[in-house]
Amino acid sequence: MEPIIQLNDVSMVYGGNGTRATALAGISFEIRQGEYVAITGESGAGKSTLLTILGGLQVPTEGAVRIGGADLSALPADGLADFRRKTIGFVFQAYHLLPYLTARENVIVPMSPERVPSREKASLANALLASVGLAGKEGRLPSQLSGGESQRVAIARALVHDPSVLLADEPTGNLDSATGEQILDLFASLHARGKTVLMVTHNPANLARATRSLRLRDGRVEEDRLLRSLLSEPAAV
Amino acid sequence: MNLRTLAWKNLLRRKSRAVFTGLGIFLGIATFVAISSITSQMEGAVQDQLDRFGANIVVSPRTEKLSIGFGDIALGGTEVAHSRLTMADKERIASIHHKDRIRSVVPFFMTGMGASGKNIVWMGLPAADVAGARPWWKIQGGTGLKRGEVLLGAEASALLDKGTEGTVTAGNRLYRVAGVLQPTGEKEDGMVIADIADVQALAKKPGAVTYFEVAALCKECPVEDIVVQIGKVLPGARVSAIRQVVESRKAAVDHLRRLGFGVSAIVLLIGGLMVLVTVMGGVQERTREIGVLRAVGFRKRSIFSLLFWETGWVSLFSSLLGAGTGIAVAYLASPAFGIEHPAIVLPPAVFGAVAGLTLGLLGAIPPARRAAALSPTEAIRSL
Repeated sequence: MEPIIQLNDVSMVYGGNGTRATALAGISFEIRQGEYVAITGESGAGKSTLLTILGGLQVPTEGAVRIGGADLSALPADGLADFRRKTIGFVFQAYHLLPYLTARENVIVPMSPERVPSREKASLANALLASVGLAGKEGRLPSQLSGGESQRVAIARALVHDPSVLLADEPTGNLDSATGEQILDLFASLHARGKTVLMVTHNPANLARATRSLRLRDGRVEEDRLLRSLLSEPAAV
Repeated sequence: MNLRTLAWKNLLRRKSRAVFTGLGIFLGIATFVAISSITSQMEGAVQDQLDRFGANIVVSPRTEKLSIGFGDIALGGTEVAHSRLTMADKERIASIHHKDRIRSVVPFFMTGMGASGKNIVWMGLPAADVAGARPWWKIQGGTGLKRGEVLLGAEASALLDKGTEGTVTAGNRLYRVAGVLQPTGEKEDGMVIADIADVQALAKKPGAVTYFEVAALCKECPVEDIVVQIGKVLPGARVSAIRQVVESRKAAVDHLRRLGFGVSAIVLLIGGLMVLVTVMGGVQERTREIGVLRAVGFRKRSIFSLLFWETGWVSLFSSLLGAGTGIAVAYLASPAFGIEHPAIVLPPAVFGAVAGLTLGLLGAIPPARRAAALSPTEAIRSL
């Protein structure tokens, strides 16, 4: 299977002379379509930096990143925005829903600059919310939703453009274990539907659902371990 | 949902900020519209009041200088009038095309003759027109002038040694002194002023007029037009606009207009700065939200448009509200500025609403550009 993500000797250095901090130090790996990769490591290992580079939110100081055939370092700012919108779905630890919008409107937000009839947008948002188990709660504000429900809305928002890659940064970090399990089940089901999932996590339970784990340490890949073959049975959901 | 509705919903969430942002524009436009409406109406009122304050056209007989001499001997010269003015000319002046712009036509008859044994100049004008023709006269000891009475200029009073309630003898007639003018610094200080019919009778020139003073209301027509029209009905007369009077009136109105524009410009500038500062502060506060939007694929242009729409909504509503308030304030406050018939003046309101919207959007450009230029990394770090 062709790799959907290719990193070649990627480095990320912050700051200038005297205050340089190396977040990533020449890491290289490939991820194939449909993989579920758990990215682990101690705090400061470079996990979040790696995720922002994979999401096209920043460009590495050195090395090349290709996702879905696109060389991210060659894309202009608007090209990166289009790439994020079409190819990547972000899920954050703190959900980052817009508090003044309903669940349905939050899902639609990425589509708001597009000239699509409102009815179509609403219909798509309703279907996505139903797919994450939030049917009937479309009109609620984030303040009226539990943490788990808010994260489901955030996942539905990430799926609105049907991206091929889902990037999640500690998506269960703010949830209790039972709710976290439900969210991980949701990611597993998305993976089962063919999505490539990269998830920064400290949660050992997540490793049970992932097909591969990347362990970072001091900006380098300390361990790259295949947990399950993509052809094997999917993890228990 | 699109960018417009997203912007609208964000405004509803941050009502107090939206109100504060709009407050600058609202106050600026309300002030601008109120001042502009009042000054534009005041222009008319001031012009009207200025027009009432004395004449601005003088009609006198056309004269020609005639040199007299025999051979090489020059005997000086004299002015010869082509025609004489009479009381009947008043009706002719009042019949011109712009007759509705003529507020008053006052005939004057001047002659020199004795008064209580002293040679002095007499000024005759209709007794009823004294207050209108010379509103700046301050008459000591009297309230007006009637037939058989005289007013004495300050110097004439001293020369004749006469005061109020005294009498002046002229042409075997006795005239009661109705009052003494406070010094004016003009020639009338040395004159005896009486009803024109009395002076004409004393000079034995009934109906004769030395000159007419015409007060024209020149708000909506140039005084030159009136001059030309009077010249046509009185071909033998010299008709002159008193440029100093006309220009000083124009200058007074121009000063008023400039003052209004100056104050409005300052208030509008402050309004624009308030928008800039408030929206800039809003961008700072919303770094996280902008980061989320950038992360989900918003282009720079979309972020710019979003902030532009937000400010556009605020500017639109505050401008309309400001224009409406300005009209209402101008209408209610007009009487306090001497405007007898307040009117709703729409042009400043329309201009104000458009200016407010434009100013708000201009004020939003720097913060919107800043938000659009916000690096996704920088924004995402705050997540």
